[in-house]
Amino acid sequence: MSRQDHIREFAANALTEKRVDYFIGWKQGYNSSEMIPAFVTDPAEADQLVWNPLCHHNLVTFIKRNMPEPADAKVGLCVKGCDSRTLVALLQEGLVDKDRLYVVGVPCDGIVDRRKLEKMFSSEITEIEFPERGKVKVTTRAGETKELDQKDVELIGCAHCRYPNPLYSDNTAGPLEKEPDREETKPDWSALEQYESLSDDVKQALLEKIYATCIRCFACIHVCPVCVCWDKCVNRSRQPELVSQKVGPKENLLFQMVHMFHVAGRCPSCGACDRACPVEIPLGLLHAKMNKEIYDMFGFEPGVKLDEKPVFQVFDLKDQFGD
Amino acid sequence: MASKYLKSEQLPAFLESLAKNARVVAPFKRDGVTQYEPWQSGKDVELDVLLAKQSPKEYVFLQTETYLKFGYEMAPVPEGAEGEDAVPYETVKVDPQNEAPKQVIFGLRPCDVRGFVQMDQVFGGYGGFYFDPLYNARREATTLLAVTCREPRSTCFCTSVGGCPSSREGADVLFTQIEGGFFVEPITDKGEAIAEAAGAALTDPTDTQATEANEAKLASATKVDPAFDLEGVRDALHDNIADKRWADLAMRCVSCGTCTYVCPSCYCFSINDSIVETKGDRYRCWDNCFNPVYTEETSGHNPRAKKMNRFRNRFSHKFWYYPDKYDSLLCSGCGRCIANCPTRIDIREVIRVMGAPKEAPAASGAVAASAAAAAAVAAAADTTTEGKEA
Ligand code: SF4
Ligand code: SF4
Ligand code: SF4
Ligand code: SF4
Repeated sequence: MSRQDHIREFAANALTEKRVDYFIGWKQGYNSSEMIPAFVTDPAEADQLVWNPLCHHNLVTFIKRNMPEPADAKVGLCVKGCDSRTLVALLQEGLVDKDRLYVVGVPCDGIVDRRKLEKMFSSEITEIEFPERGKVKVTTRAGETKELDQKDVELIGCAHCRYPNPLYSDNTAGPLEKEPDREETKPDWSALEQYESLSDDVKQALLEKIYATCIRCFACIHVCPVCVCWDKCVNRSRQPELVSQKVGPKENLLFQMVHMFHVAGRCPSCGACDRACPVEIPLGLLHAKMNKEIYDMFGFEPGVKLDEKPVFQVFDLKDQFGD
Repeated sequence: MASKYLKSEQLPAFLESLAKNARVVAPFKRDGVTQYEPWQSGKDVELDVLLAKQSPKEYVFLQTETYLKFGYEMAPVPEGAEGEDAVPYETVKVDPQNEAPKQVIFGLRPCDVRGFVQMDQVFGGYGGFYFDPLYNARREATTLLAVTCREPRSTCFCTSVGGCPSSREGADVLFTQIEGGFFVEPITDKGEAIAEAAGAALTDPTDTQATEANEAKLASATKVDPAFDLEGVRDALHDNIADKRWADLAMRCVSCGTCTYVCPSCYCFSINDSIVETKGDRYRCWDNCFNPVYTEETSGHNPRAKKMNRFRNRFSHKFWYYPDKYDSLLCSGCGRCIANCPTRIDIREVIRVMGAPKEAPAASGAVAASAAAAAAVAAAADTTTEGKEA
């Protein structure tokens, strides 16, 4: 039985038994190269649910504050390894009610970076298939077809994923994936370290260039599963104007830094913001920075243990604040 | 006006000549992302990628526009003043800003142009409504050089909303790519002036080139897939306003507003003051109906408190409220909102489902039923009192 079959079965059962009002998984969007979040209410429709390496959406987004409709709905949802950490982060803070959730954990072997693919073709990608595990077959509107190795076109975080298996779930869709040795390997921050090795001037110029293109659409903030204030977000406050509403490189960077600080210790770098940004700003860089500092100072990884308190909710005299 | 021919190699020289008396804006690819940017000598215009991430609306309707600088200062006490006249008092000095430098936008697409044409109604005082001096000054100073789309995307649906990939509507000049260069059609006086100024860079086209351009236009139009039948959509949206399917469709929307900021015709803005000590800027910046605080009132009440209300507003505004007020759609079928939405909310699907007369089956891919059926359903349907402000 494939993972997809497991997901469909768990969803259909949960809906039939009325354990949930609706179940959130993934399904095909306007063509086979796009997967989108699927909301299923009828058990007979559970067979539209899909599992493949294009299922990038972190569905925890849809259970954060003000999202579920109605607010007290009982919701079933699928989580990958990284997604589950954002769920654990919400649970640690009591921001979602465990009793209203039914969670299907989906062990994950890596997710394809569709934007990486887009840059490899001149025509629009209209079809993506997975002929066998580890292979991606891409077809464009102009009719060009190419078969690629999945590992070459995965998201930046997947190559060094430390938690491919969900850390919180009621059921698991099929066998677990192989876990890396977490004692041996530290989290990977190579992209960040590359940036950190630059001189201050270069860093400054780079940040300005990157953030100049932000259009303040708020996609990053709204998809972020641990970003929960949204209608009360300080970044939206016009009176007083706490964060400038002007759109410009410095103002945009400040706006992003507010997000960065507000999710520090809660963001496990699931990458949802990166993938949502229409102008492809590498937002993960800022969040990786916080994660690295928090790991180095407190040995803390966000959203890992259910009974652990988020790092900024504890005060411990033994904490080491660098040298 | 006579058509012309521009050799591909001549394009940089042509742009160079335009840049002598105006800012030139065109699509460029940077780090794999195509956007409209000011042109500089040596930069290669990107005409193969459809579409640029955003429309070029930001060059006419600025995302941030400071339109007033102000400062508080003490009024000077006139010499020899006595009594009340000698009491110093504070005044506000205001300094209106309205810059509208000449600019030429090259390489925009017919749907981008149509975004301007649709937006013109709202800022241009159509129907006796507000005339916006800032927008109009800039619009007046802008010349639009559109390029026919060669390879429409699967998300394009201009032909379903009355446009086409080689539409001349609103453009000052239309360029169509043919063997070795462009077939150039000046359309307006502004366009003609550009063609004249270009001088020898433009030559007279041969008959074969004219035929080739026509064929290219026909070919591209056939590459746009029909999305829905526009007839009856407005009435169906009206009749379906309380329909439960709005909530179903809105489920995966995250209410971010990306769709409105990439859209060539969304025009909402808010006004802010930014004050440091005694000096300040009054500026407007883009806002949108998905912003959870967009309709929040001072009392704290929000008439569109739920995601579904905001979601419904966007589509209803584009295909119902705006057309009622300005006799024009507020969508040119560019499909940017589909391709850039984090969850790929598909406006075509929304219109197919909610723009279909009530009883008709609304299977994905089906087109709306006939206008007669829509009218019949409209007569029987309930009405609600949802506010239709934009
Ligand atoms: S998603 Fe990107 S463009 Fe939108 S606000 Fe966030 S950083 Fe800016
Ligand atoms: S439709 Fe998509 S882009 Fe628009 S607000 Fe909803 S999630 Fe954001
Ligand atoms: S609503 Fe969507 S398809 Fe229509 S013009 Fe705007 S971005 Fe383009
Ligand atoms: S109300 Fe919404 S859909 Fe209409 S113009 Fe404003 S942002 Fe666009």
